[in-house]
Amino acid sequence: MTRTQENMPVFIMSGILLIYGFIAKSGVLLPMMKYLSTHKTMDLQVTMCLLLAGIGLAGAIINSFKEKGTSIFDRFFLQPLGGIIFLLVLAMFIRWYAEPMVKIWSKALAPTLGFAIYKVLNLNYVVLGLLVGVVVTNTIGIPKFAGPGVKCARFVLKMGVIMLGARYSFAELAKLGVYSVWLIGIFVLGTVFLVLWLGKIFKQPKTMTGVLSAGMGVCGVSATVAVAPVVKAKSEEMAYTIGTILSFGIICMFVFPTIGKMAGMNPVQFGAWAGTGILNSAQVAAAALAFDAVDIKTLKVAEIFNITRVLFLPIIVLVLATWFGKESGQKLTFKTVVIDKFPIFILGFLLLFGMSSAGLFSPPQHYKGKFIDVSYNDRTQVTDDEWITLDSALKEGKITGLSETQMAAVNDLHKQRQIAGNFDERDNKAVFDKTGRARMTQLEGILAADKAKQIKLDGDVKGVIKHAVKQVHKKSKTVTTLTDCMIWFFAFGLIGLGMQITKKAIFQAGSWPLIIGGISGIVKATLSFFVVLWLVKDVVLN
Amino acid sequence: MSKKKTIDTGSEGKGQMDISVDANTEELEERALSVFNSERNEDLTALVLCLATTFIVLLFTKWLV
Repeated sequence: MTRTQENMPVFIMSGILLIYGFIAKSGVLLPMMKYLSTHKTMDLQVTMCLLLAGIGLAGAIINSFKEKGTSIFDRFFLQPLGGIIFLLVLAMFIRWYAEPMVKIWSKALAPTLGFAIYKVLNLNYVVLGLLVGVVVTNTIGIPKFAGPGVKCARFVLKMGVIMLGARYSFAELAKLGVYSVWLIGIFVLGTVFLVLWLGKIFKQPKTMTGVLSAGMGVCGVSATVAVAPVVKAKSEEMAYTIGTILSFGIICMFVFPTIGKMAGMNPVQFGAWAGTGILNSAQVAAAALAFDAVDIKTLKVAEIFNITRVLFLPIIVLVLATWFGKESGQKLTFKTVVIDKFPIFILGFLLLFGMSSAGLFSPPQHYKGKFIDVSYNDRTQVTDDEWITLDSALKEGKITGLSETQMAAVNDLHKQRQIAGNFDERDNKAVFDKTGRARMTQLEGILAADKAKQIKLDGDVKGVIKHAVKQVHKKSKTVTTLTDCMIWFFAFGLIGLGMQITKKAIFQAGSWPLIIGGISGIVKATLSFFVVLWLVKDVVLN
Repeated sequence: MSKKKTIDTGSEGKGQMDISVDANTEELEERALSVFNSERNEDLTALVLCLATTFIVLLFTKWLV
């Protein structure tokens, strides 16, 4: 009886999940889900809730009758089950309700405030998860039944970092010239050493400095999680690092586009600067779009510079493992650093990156699962009606103001009914793809020029070109699903991480990490500004 | 017999326990925040679970469709 009472929270949570799952399945919640724009996740919501409810009920029943033991099943399933369900329920609430609500409210407030709060404060599942964790632990405290489950947080965060490898591919790195990779590498390593030096001057704990250097040098959450075990950083130090990076990024989002415009940077230069100087991926994208919402080159260059930093993660782990070992007075050999100190989960990241680069999840040229397919395919063609629209527009001479190459791309779209290379070159895939991609770029240029009101395009013709461009942009379902898994792992882990941060720990850390982060961030942004202006002229992508 | 010291292990550890004065308390604190006995076990389990997840995802999104 006592045992059943002990398991009551798990029974209640499982019951709630079961009821929610059935209500969601009935479709009653569909209007609300549509309002929150979460209706596409309806099937996932039902499956996750029912599955979790089933596992929770089974575990709670076993726990009610079975004596507590020390077997693997007890330690890794029965004991942490309550906490795992608790964290997952919070993660579900954040992803399906809190995050969409924050977006809706900030959009509603945007006309009054002049900006969207969720974009400025980056209120996504990362920040909301951490905040919820901190609030729970500092108000009601971690419930007793959830204690062992919360201890799974770091382990799950590591799974998130491993999964991160699936999103990137070596082909993206190869797009950047060797010279750009050097540029990024020097800034990443330079920032790491600068933070380590500042930490020494300001007499900060090695654990804090180590994790902050990775966060400031590479990028946000993933680097922080990856380096934390190497430098033995505490949960509050990880949270502090994430907070510092995001706060610095908020300022950058406003300052970068203004300075970029004042300095007369071109789209490629600004992309390279934002991708090097701003740390968080979402904030990099926001700054690039704020600088130039029309020319997608800015965003593309910024994103490629940003992801290349992520690929420096294993090198930074090695550097910090060596630094931390030496600082702790250990004698280090090559073997101790590379084999003993190198975290196995970073090897997992590299393994998934390797699988992704080999084309196991998506064609090797993919970027976050997205790729361009200009091969001959019925599904890539425009519809018959669209072709008739294009045909009559060309015959009537309605399409005007285009450059010669843009017009040639439109004519080829009319001829082949899809964006593709030349028929005669179909056996040479590299040449065929190159021609097809060049035509796609020209058509994208037409749409951008129309958006910027440089030309006036007929609405129907614009629709045809838009559809044709959309048809060659494919997305790998495998990478999308693996990314979803990664997001769930991070959401779960960050709530748990937040729960290990007490008020006392936050006050103990003081404001030094913010100061060190601020100094190193400003130095990096300033130096990269001049280097980009000096070295990056126009074309950085191969 | 080696010297012992008493440490607070919190509610999960049911109060207090005696450990050797030479014990690496930082390592103990670190492990107290995880369900795993060592970093290595934690990493290996994370890797195996991720590979299993990847296999299942590949099975249902690529190989079986």
